[in-house]
Amino acid sequence: MAEVFVFGQVRGASGFPQRSLFCTWEAIHGAGWRLLRGAGDGRTHVDAPAPDHDVTWAHPLDMHFAVQSMQGWPKLGFKVYHQDDFGRNELYGYGVCHIPMSPGSHTLECACCQPSTSGIESFYQSLVGGSLQLKSDDAVHTQVDRFKLKTKTMGTVHVQLNIVTRGFEAYGIEM
Amino acid sequence: MADGEAGVFHMLVTGAVECGHFPTYNNLYCKYTIVFGDHWTATAGIEEGVSQIASRSSHHPGEFVWNFPIDITLKSQLPRGWPQIVVAVYGLDMFGRDIVRGYGTCHLPVTAGHHTLKIPTFAPRPTTRLQHILGWFLGQRPEFYESTFVAAGEGREVVRVRSHGHVIVKCNVAFKDFHRLGFHNAPSNQN
Repeated sequence: MAEVFVFGQVRGASGFPQRSLFCTWEAIHGAGWRLLRGAGDGRTHVDAPAPDHDVTWAHPLDMHFAVQSMQGWPKLGFKVYHQDDFGRNELYGYGVCHIPMSPGSHTLECACCQPSTSGIESFYQSLVGGSLQLKSDDAVHTQVDRFKLKTKTMGTVHVQLNIVTRGFEAYGIEM
Repeated sequence: MADGEAGVFHMLVTGAVECGHFPTYNNLYCKYTIVFGDHWTATAGIEEGVSQIASRSSHHPGEFVWNFPIDITLKSQLPRGWPQIVVAVYGLDMFGRDIVRGYGTCHLPVTAGHHTLKIPTFAPRPTTRLQHILGWFLGQRPEFYESTFVAAGEGREVVRVRSHGHVIVKCNVAFKDFHRLGFHNAPSNQN
């Protein structure tokens, strides 16, 4: 059985309208993949950076996968939240980043978007705050019902990943 | 190949915590720790160290040069729990008390060769304004119980931080037997 080691960091974020941010992340993978060791999801700290500084999370990831099928190569799903001075959390965006197949070190940028609405609902939203959320996070990384959604551009999550593979050449797979 | 009979690979890291960039502080020193998973052991070298106190120069405001050497050899059977370098920067406040100015962490490089790591740093924030004011008077600023807390993902969700500054680490990495054990850390498109 082939193995994939994924380790690195959710480094931080930039380009979001407010700066007191945190994110939750999860690894999404197909049925032929098994997470042998390491956390498959997590939540970062809340960072309110100094004025000239990007949001820094430095949240380490370390995952060890056993692979039976190349189908369903893992992705990382992110949900970025803004935490205000009263400790209220507001969803700022969804993002998905594909874990690279090639071994080595990779710096990735994951663009995020937020579900949006038009008309009277956005007016309410501007008065009372809060944001729209998806009923199911699956819509972010699948094609189902995507055409019904309306989204707006938010910022970017920065990820640094190192990939080490073992045993793929025994099955004739080149990476 | 089972874990027990897989043999081990070695990783040699040599370099230095070169400098830090902290625009609003003075008189800073840096502590580094190499943190690794339970499959890893350090065979030679020192896992942690504390640098001298550097003061800022008028020519390069905000730059603190430590040039603090790192030299360590590690061995492991598996890449999981890959070593991270955790840096913690401390400074003295106006009453001469040690205050943490920032924590940062970064995985050591996965490929052999020379690497420059830029490690952004962050310091924990007090939960309330009152604690902030009391902390200033009493010298009890929030800090992590262990600086290696930042090398793990658990418990991070309850922490609020303010990020500020970064540390530059330069290092050279070499491997022994990494490829012999079947691990790939670079694309195999040469042939």
